[in-house]
Amino acid sequence: MPLLETRKLTKRFDGLAAVNDVDMAVEEGEIVGLIGPNGAGKTTCFNLLSGFLPPTAGTIRFAGEDITRMRSHRIVRRGLVRTFQLTTLFQEMTALENVLLGLHLHSTRSLRQVLLSRRPFPRGEIERSREVLEFAGLSAHVDHLAKNLPHGHQRILGIAMALAARPRLLLLDEPVTGMNLDESGRVMSLVKTIRDQGTTILLVEHNMKAVMGTCERIVVLNFGQKLVEGTPAEVSTNPKVIEAYLGAGLADARR
Amino acid sequence: MRSRIAAPAVLVVVVALALLVPRLGDYYIHVFALVLINVILAASLRPSLTCGQLNIGHSGFMCVGAYTSALLAKHYALPFELTLLSGALLAAVVGLAVGYPALRLRGVYFAMVTVAFVEVIRLIAAIWVPLTRGNSGLSGIPKPNLLGMTLTTKASQYYLVVGLAAVTLFVLWRLERSRLGLTWKSIGLADNLAQSLGVDIAAHKLLAFMVGCFFAGVAGAFYAHFIRFLFPPEFGFLVATNILVYNFVGGRGHFVGPIFGAIFLSLLSEPFRGSAYETIFFSIAMLMTILFLPGGIITLPEKLAGLRWGRAASAPTPSPAG
Repeated sequence: MPLLETRKLTKRFDGLAAVNDVDMAVEEGEIVGLIGPNGAGKTTCFNLLSGFLPPTAGTIRFAGEDITRMRSHRIVRRGLVRTFQLTTLFQEMTALENVLLGLHLHSTRSLRQVLLSRRPFPRGEIERSREVLEFAGLSAHVDHLAKNLPHGHQRILGIAMALAARPRLLLLDEPVTGMNLDESGRVMSLVKTIRDQGTTILLVEHNMKAVMGTCERIVVLNFGQKLVEGTPAEVSTNPKVIEAYLGAGLADARR
Repeated sequence: MRSRIAAPAVLVVVVALALLVPRLGDYYIHVFALVLINVILAASLRPSLTCGQLNIGHSGFMCVGAYTSALLAKHYALPFELTLLSGALLAAVVGLAVGYPALRLRGVYFAMVTVAFVEVIRLIAAIWVPLTRGNSGLSGIPKPNLLGMTLTTKASQYYLVVGLAAVTLFVLWRLERSRLGLTWKSIGLADNLAQSLGVDIAAHKLLAFMVGCFFAGVAGAFYAHFIRFLFPPEFGFLVATNILVYNFVGGRGHFVGPIFGAIFLSLLSEPFRGSAYETIFFSIAMLMTILFLPGGIITLPEKLAGLRWGRAASAPTPSPAG
């Protein structure tokens, strides 16, 4: 049984089908890439999977459970955690506080402890947050405000927060877009490490080099529909994919 | 971190000064008791504001606490501890009833509901004559008592409100520094991100709102037994906006902001209390803050230091509220 499975997943905005009849499956332990030209419906797909948008039709199953119309914070509780495109962070908080919020679901404190304990946060939570930051290579920035971090570090912090929530499946929305070669290489190797530690990964990305080098399987969307699915090698030589990206004329020219 | 010592230090100084007030005579005791009521109100609005909810109806919850406590004490002669708690709890329950449907609304729409609420409460207090005596006002409210002893002197009542304010501020401060406070702040900064980390936004907004209502009820209950006369217009929309102004003028960046704001503005507006000039005064204070000190009074030292060193102080970015 796949960890994540969609059946005929559809989202229409006023008649425009942003996602149309998409059947997709992600097996436990995989790194799957979701690619497609601009406007293909990748981010809408993410919003449906994470419960930020209700689908018009179709079902989503996660770990054997139907999560189709579940509210997003409940989906997170089941281990499906997403990150956002762009740098969505708590800008006015420190890196440590950002990650502490990622631990939200795994925190237990009684009102008595809140009112009377000497520490605002249990030592374990602080330690765990520092570990996550260290894992992500952000140890040097623990007490820096998120808004003061360089762009690449901000993106990594976004991933670190999601990691703190201990996902079974991590949805990464354009993790390396806008990064230089060095930074994107570091993020993609971080992604592989995360997978090796047992978290399944589904990522949307425009940077083809990063996608082809990291993902084991790729799903291509075009105009909201699944175009093809396969290994990076299969997908990158598929004429349909080339046509979708470059237009019919160029694809013909290549033949 | 500087702010980590600043908050307790400021509290100690404030409490020390507060305890010296009774030496100044009854007039000052009265004024400072009102200041402390405003401090409780201002600080208890903060959790909601932190979540990004603009609540312009806080005095309505104070009204609920005031009438509940006054009527229970007057008609059933219950001890003040019990009437205070009842008033605060009822204010929180009313907060739940108003907040549950309203907190789904964002920004200005939520603010409009709270404005409507405060007027509805004021009108109920004015129209429900058999219970509240309406606009002739509710009088004959007993003085507060503690452990069975009636607090007859103004000074003893003043110490009571010092105690209430201290407990209120302590609880609110601990909540703000805990995970709960961090979660509330996260909702105010980026609610979609908070949601993506598993935060139940609606539940947390509601909790923050109810905590605020509870302490507004505490302030109202003390007010009722201190002034011993309740008059519906005393809880109107303008009072609610003043509570909001304390927060903005004091500064929303730190816990002590609303406390400073309430003390500073209440004392400064004392000559105009109850007159039309009061509204003008508060409007001017709000405008001046928005124009010249967007981070509030608490950012003044920073700004001055910036000027002294001959470089422009970096403008503090106000956190988004609704």
